[in-house]
Amino acid sequence: MWEFIARSLDASTIFTFAALGELINQRSGVLNVGVEGVMLFGATFGFIAAQSTGSYLLGFLLGIAIGGLLGLLHGFFSVTLGADQVVVGMGIWILGFGLTTYIGNPYTGPLGMERIPTILGLSPFFYVGIALVVVSWFVLSKTSLGLRIRSVGENPSVAEVSGIDVTKTRYLCVTIGGMLGGLSGAIYSLFYNPVWNYNFLMGWGFIALALVFFSMWNPLILLGGSLLFGTMWQLSLNPQLVLPGVLSRYIWRTIPFVITIGVLLTMSTKWFRVRWGAARPEALAEPYVKQ
Amino acid sequence: MRIGSYELKLEKRLTLTGWEAAIGSILAIVVALVLFSVIFILAGINPLFAYQEIFSYAFANPYGLPLTINRFIFLLLCTSAFIIPFRAGLWNIGMTGQLYAGALGAFAVLFAFGGRESRTSDLAPEILIPFMLTAAALGGAGLGAIAGFLKGKFNTNEIVVTMMLNFIAFWLVAHMIKEGGPFMNPGGRGESFELPPSVYAPLIMGVPVTIFLALGVAILLYFAFAKTEIGYQIKAYGHSPAAARYAGISTLKIPFLVFSVGGALAGLAGYHYFAAVPGVYKIARNYGYFGDLAFYGIICGLISLGNPLAAIPVALLFGGLSIGGRFVQGKLNMGFGVDYALLGVLMIILVAFQFFYRYKIVWVKTGEERLDVGVYR
Amino acid sequence: MQKGFLETVKRGETVLEARGITKRFPGVVANDSIDFEIKAGEIHAVLGENGAGKTTLMNILFGLLQPDEGEIYIGGQRVSFRSPLDAIDLGIGMVHQHRKLVSAHTVIENIILGHPRAGRILNLKRAQEEVKELCEKYGFQIDLRAKVWQLSEGEKQVVEILKALYRGAEVLILDEPTSALAPPETKTLLASIEAMARDELAIIPFITHKLPIVLAISDRVTVLRRGKVTARLDTGRVTEKGLAKRMVGREVIFRMERTRVEKGKPILQVENLSALSDKGFLALNSVSFSICEGEIFGIAGISGNGQHELVEVLAGLRKAEGGKVILEGKDITHSSSLERWRMGVGYIPCERIEVGSIGDFSLVENIAMNFYFDDDFSRRGILNYGKIRKLTEEIISEYSVMAPSPDTKAKNLSGGNLQRLILARVLSRRPRLVIANLPTQGLDVGATEFVRNKLMEAKKERAGILLISEDLDEVLSLSDWVAPIYEGKFMGVLPGEGAKRESVGAMMAGSRLKG
Repeated sequence: MWEFIARSLDASTIFTFAALGELINQRSGVLNVGVEGVMLFGATFGFIAAQSTGSYLLGFLLGIAIGGLLGLLHGFFSVTLGADQVVVGMGIWILGFGLTTYIGNPYTGPLGMERIPTILGLSPFFYVGIALVVVSWFVLSKTSLGLRIRSVGENPSVAEVSGIDVTKTRYLCVTIGGMLGGLSGAIYSLFYNPVWNYNFLMGWGFIALALVFFSMWNPLILLGGSLLFGTMWQLSLNPQLVLPGVLSRYIWRTIPFVITIGVLLTMSTKWFRVRWGAARPEALAEPYVKQ
Repeated sequence: MRIGSYELKLEKRLTLTGWEAAIGSILAIVVALVLFSVIFILAGINPLFAYQEIFSYAFANPYGLPLTINRFIFLLLCTSAFIIPFRAGLWNIGMTGQLYAGALGAFAVLFAFGGRESRTSDLAPEILIPFMLTAAALGGAGLGAIAGFLKGKFNTNEIVVTMMLNFIAFWLVAHMIKEGGPFMNPGGRGESFELPPSVYAPLIMGVPVTIFLALGVAILLYFAFAKTEIGYQIKAYGHSPAAARYAGISTLKIPFLVFSVGGALAGLAGYHYFAAVPGVYKIARNYGYFGDLAFYGIICGLISLGNPLAAIPVALLFGGLSIGGRFVQGKLNMGFGVDYALLGVLMIILVAFQFFYRYKIVWVKTGEERLDVGVYR
Repeated sequence: MQKGFLETVKRGETVLEARGITKRFPGVVANDSIDFEIKAGEIHAVLGENGAGKTTLMNILFGLLQPDEGEIYIGGQRVSFRSPLDAIDLGIGMVHQHRKLVSAHTVIENIILGHPRAGRILNLKRAQEEVKELCEKYGFQIDLRAKVWQLSEGEKQVVEILKALYRGAEVLILDEPTSALAPPETKTLLASIEAMARDELAIIPFITHKLPIVLAISDRVTVLRRGKVTARLDTGRVTEKGLAKRMVGREVIFRMERTRVEKGKPILQVENLSALSDKGFLALNSVSFSICEGEIFGIAGISGNGQHELVEVLAGLRKAEGGKVILEGKDITHSSSLERWRMGVGYIPCERIEVGSIGDFSLVENIAMNFYFDDDFSRRGILNYGKIRKLTEEIISEYSVMAPSPDTKAKNLSGGNLQRLILARVLSRRPRLVIANLPTQGLDVGATEFVRNKLMEAKKERAGILLISEDLDEVLSLSDWVAPIYEGKFMGVLPGEGAKRESVGAMMAGSRLKG
């Protein structure tokens, strides 16, 4: 049983990092639907680096770096060039999906390294994740920087006239978001599921995206959501814990995706919709053109 | 950038003519191919040689050409499936799942008529094949309709929903064809039962008749968007759902319609690949590969800017590129996934080129003097 | 509070001066050698139609634009602005016509946004105390912890003024300060402006057509026409008519000739209609009224009091929570908006760009918006673009829409021309009920006259017209019946002729019709 809980919490860590990164993105008004692509890059490059050099540190660092680079790329297209952010996000996803399939292919298979030391049976990242959530919440709601980020996401022209550099702020956020996304991918491939296979993230990037919407851009709710999703994912892999013998294991694999759709549905109910509409950064996904 | 009294400036476009768009798209493809040659260079292969092999195999080789054409049919259907919601301003990235659903639909009909046990079926192919086609279309439409309905009624994000449905459909297929599932091949092997030869889709010069389906659909779509009332409604909704609503267009009906029809087309793509391509005729073990190929439909759709007729040559080109890429991967001993990598590079270059659809580079005579900056004391 | 650059300037001394300001855009000289100066403690208004160059001048003074020629002096020293930030640092504050606030944030958050002294960790308490001082000084009443989207237009404007003051503005530029306010709010604002002037701030209101305001409050007024200064006068020495003449260059009709049309049978009957706002509150509260053939029914009110929801329910774009809508005897409460178009409802929306037209569509395709479902233009699902095109050409000439061709994209049309197109499109259907929502908002005098004339024509053709307007004078001069709306209820229904401006204005702000 503890094994199950531990795995759930480990899974939730990855959701936390990926979704938190995207939350920061979106709070500044930039939408990245290609989180899956960023995670794939982080996972693949981190895996390759770690396996080739034998150093976990290098693997994680490379994952963060490549995520940050992708964040910058996204920022360049979305902020500087003002392109349609959904198109850019799709581009990043397919780029990730396509390139990592080819690049990672020679490394298909187990990582073959000793597991990262755990604290209380959980990866150290779990605790880092919780800390990051609290820090993000604090920064966003209580500091000047947070106010600036939120203003840029709500009404960039007002922010600009008030003396805030919208471009710089957005670049900052997409880079941080990208780094967190890349890191989450690296955690996946180096700790949670250290066996490389193409497209092995199984849609987690998109689930993380749904999580951000569900959390109404509040880091604390996001943490709760990722714990929920992590548990649900583990459940789908171990249906025997809940309903032994019922339905083939393939049907069980569909459950997390069904539940994600369900979650999106609950968000359309009246209660949710009004609060969601109010919490949504008003300028989300709108390119900002300096007057 | 300045030269003398002229400077290079970026200007927002007021209009985008068909020619300008075409040139932009062609340029994007060329740049992507050039960039992709890096992959070849890294594998120690001369890119020019590689591309020569790719194109000659895809279009000039008696084995490669039929493969290209079959791939082209598949891609054209997927592209059309993407284009319809795209014109409505919506993203259908669920072609993968919809084609799985279509394949399941077609095989369900077959299963119902005893196709699993015997090598011939009870019913004549003239009846069975249309049945299978209809079932495939309905299967894909059904899956698409879920996304469309949720979008129309609840405005749920169609990207996440279609992606989730992709995975759901993927596992459903696995359930059906592996380990004792209803469609499992009696010989095991983790694939579906084989199509009885009597139900093979008729071939014309070695090409399945589905080619007429794909081409017909593309032409029909072009006229639908250009001339019909519903085409107008879809376009209006795509530009501005609020204005469309004002004009009396149903913001519930449009998403539902475009995703259903799009899904149906993707379902037909599923029928095509698993029931009409010679040499396949079953839901293969590696069905996931074909699901992934459906994403090329997104790229074709974007490059052709949502124009169903322009999609025809584009789908042919990419059909050839992916077949050629696969071939070259084997022949030149490259790693698995060359066509995947090509997909990725094409997409990101396309995204970069979106910029040029909105802005153009002009030479402008430098204007008035700027007032000196800073505060004078 | 930041101390201004100008704290040494005393009352009566020139605080801001602009000399020879010229700005050219392709094809037009927006500002032509404009001179302007204002002293500390003075209220100096700038008056001009849309297109006269007011906005350009305002943007130059605030640092949003660079002049091609001319200099600006602050406190006697020559300055130039690279951006509004330079202007703000030098003590110039601007309050825009369209609120530049972050709706989701609180008042105090908006005020300190971007303030150099905001500090790493927000110290809201201290900021709140300092802002409170300002409020007391100038007579502003506002809850600093409220979220901006909850505030009324007048309150939002106060927030913007406070924001500028908190940044140390000594010169305040106000862009159309009273255009979105009801008479009582206007009174309060004018009082505050006078308090600020007494405190030696310099105030520059930029105004389009609220001439009475100009006369009431300013010490001097500069009139712009076609980019040039046509007059600079002491306000004590001029009349409304005189000002208007200098603005437009000809006599302007202030009151439309009220057309008398024989009343016919009822076209629209509304019974106890209620509706919710987007946020879920009751915006329209059991409203009943009727409109007969040849009648113009005007609803006067400040935006946000339910008119918008009323109009959407009537057009079929919003669900009615209760009550009935009857069109020419038929109950259409549950009919779709498409059915209503077919039955003769014609809705002219206030959002020209987002709702009334599709920017990327050509003019032909835009005209099709209200005709695609007609049997005349669509047979068996195929649209007859040729016929629609012909209609578009007729409309373009009849309504004088300035556009190179019917294939021009709507986004390339000016505001006035776009409104002509939309008006033409709706009125060409000869609707029985015309719903005109803020039809003249943002239009210049010429376009406004045109719109009003067309509405009068529709009235003569015995349609029923529902007019929503924030311009009290417009409503009073056009309508046969006037209903001031406040918090979702009609405060009364008065005959348009002879209605007193003061009483209607008071009702718009909540007082009931007496007797």
